[in-house]
Amino acid sequence: MLSEERRAHHEGALTEPASSRLVSPDIRDEFGLETIDMNMGPQHPAMHGLLRLILELDGETVVRCDPVMGYLHRCQEKIAENRMYPAVIPLTDRLDYFANMHNEHGYVLAVEDLLDVEIPPRAEYIRVLMCELMRLASHIPSIGFLMLELGAFTPILYAFRERERIQSIFEAVTGARMMFHYIRIGGVKADLPPDIPQKIWDYIESLEDHFQRDFVDLIAENEIFISRTRNVGKMTQEQAIEMGVTGPALRCTGVDFDIRRDYPYSIYPELEFDVITDTAGDVEASYRVRIAECLQSIRLIKQCLEKMPEGEVMGDLGRRLRPEEGDGFGRVESPRGEFAVHVVSDGSDTPYRVHYRDPSFCNMQLLQEVIPGHYLPDIMPIMGLVDPVSGGWDK
Amino acid sequence: MAVSFPEGDLRTRLQRYLDGLDNRHGLEESEILDDVVRVVASPGDVPAVLATARETLGIPHLSFITVVDRRGSFELTYELIDFRGGTVRVKTTIEGDEPVIGTVTGVYPTANWHEREAYDMFGVAFAGHPDLRRTYMWQDHFDHHPLLKSFEISTKRTFEGLR
Repeated sequence: MLSEERRAHHEGALTEPASSRLVSPDIRDEFGLETIDMNMGPQHPAMHGLLRLILELDGETVVRCDPVMGYLHRCQEKIAENRMYPAVIPLTDRLDYFANMHNEHGYVLAVEDLLDVEIPPRAEYIRVLMCELMRLASHIPSIGFLMLELGAFTPILYAFRERERIQSIFEAVTGARMMFHYIRIGGVKADLPPDIPQKIWDYIESLEDHFQRDFVDLIAENEIFISRTRNVGKMTQEQAIEMGVTGPALRCTGVDFDIRRDYPYSIYPELEFDVITDTAGDVEASYRVRIAECLQSIRLIKQCLEKMPEGEVMGDLGRRLRPEEGDGFGRVESPRGEFAVHVVSDGSDTPYRVHYRDPSFCNMQLLQEVIPGHYLPDIMPIMGLVDPVSGGWDK
Repeated sequence: MAVSFPEGDLRTRLQRYLDGLDNRHGLEESEILDDVVRVVASPGDVPAVLATARETLGIPHLSFITVVDRRGSFELTYELIDFRGGTVRVKTTIEGDEPVIGTVTGVYPTANWHEREAYDMFGVAFAGHPDLRRTYMWQDHFDHHPLLKSFEISTKRTFEGLR
């Protein structure tokens, strides 16, 4: 616990906006000072995936930050144009590989928007159950990554212990640990194995028991954590909205927006949960939002297990899918924000065009806006705030 | 400072968006269908329509820009959401093989990277864009735009016999 004196010290640590550290180019010229350009990444031990940041440095202060993407580009959208509708689902797993279920769900919603198909209620409950487990399996490691970037090694081990347990649940349900191909057009691939609901329930109960101890008590009051994250990456609501940020990074500024509530899909209207917001808009606030969202996911999983009806898990689709000409839209709340899919059909059995709006890609625009004025070592915590995934921004 | 969002019942809000855009720009083929205001605008009008949506109607968020290559023309979809259930979908069609359209980065700064992506993949030139570079493909020595229908991929589908 922090003493009152130390707490006051941190509260006042950075009251000026970070950009006030920047020296104007005129003064630099007058004293003959030069900035240096530096590449951070694409192969950098601490970087999230394959991202290259071109940094202009004035001493240790970043003057300009320019993200360069494309090192993991696979042109997913072009590949999707040459495959039949169901065959695109395994590709969507490879987009944001920390939110595979959400990618599948978004694509499937877009195709179902084109087709007139009824989804069995049990399949909807299984989809939401899997998506919320996936959210836990994404938020908890992202807290671990944030701590790893600050130099604490223990939380990542705890985080991956939890992710490992969730992955073994996924393995029992879908047969795969990461690339599931489980949510299908019209339902889900298979029903849950008979013993799995009880196993999920037991796991969730045990997670609830030690969640506070391992991820809150260990981290939240730690003095080093606070001094490295409080007021770092601070942004206003206007900045976040202008840059098109969604998800926890937007909610930590206080904007009350969650697709699960505001653009309801699947069975979310029938379930009870809160949209978590924070006011600070810095790295610490994004950590608090993620922690609270994990608890909401636990709540949703319990409701799904309690309310889950019996019945079929696959709607009646026919063998070959030929949607009518037109546009289909799907939008889901992935752990990183708004994941939207736009599918254009020309009446054949392959999509004419598939477009993914990936939250990692859109949230990363924030880096250009927020990083200038911060010190070089603050970049990694800010990456923890944005939490982008390489497969997501590079498609 | 808290940002305010459009308030009120969803139906009346959608009607307000439709009327606001219609009266200002005289758009034909505009309608409300399933909580979505669908608007068709000519390419020259798009920046002005989006400016009305942002500044007069207060729609805060540009979700994405989709480009579709229709072999001979390009169809652009701008999806705007108001964070409270309402959607405005602006469609426009640019004729010809060398599409040019005005940028909307002045209205929605987030459009910056969406337009860069569209330029990279389709060669759509956004006039007035502050920084129109490629996002994914190589910056030099690569003159192609891979998502064009004229860009052939080497591994064609192999399940031709199964159809």
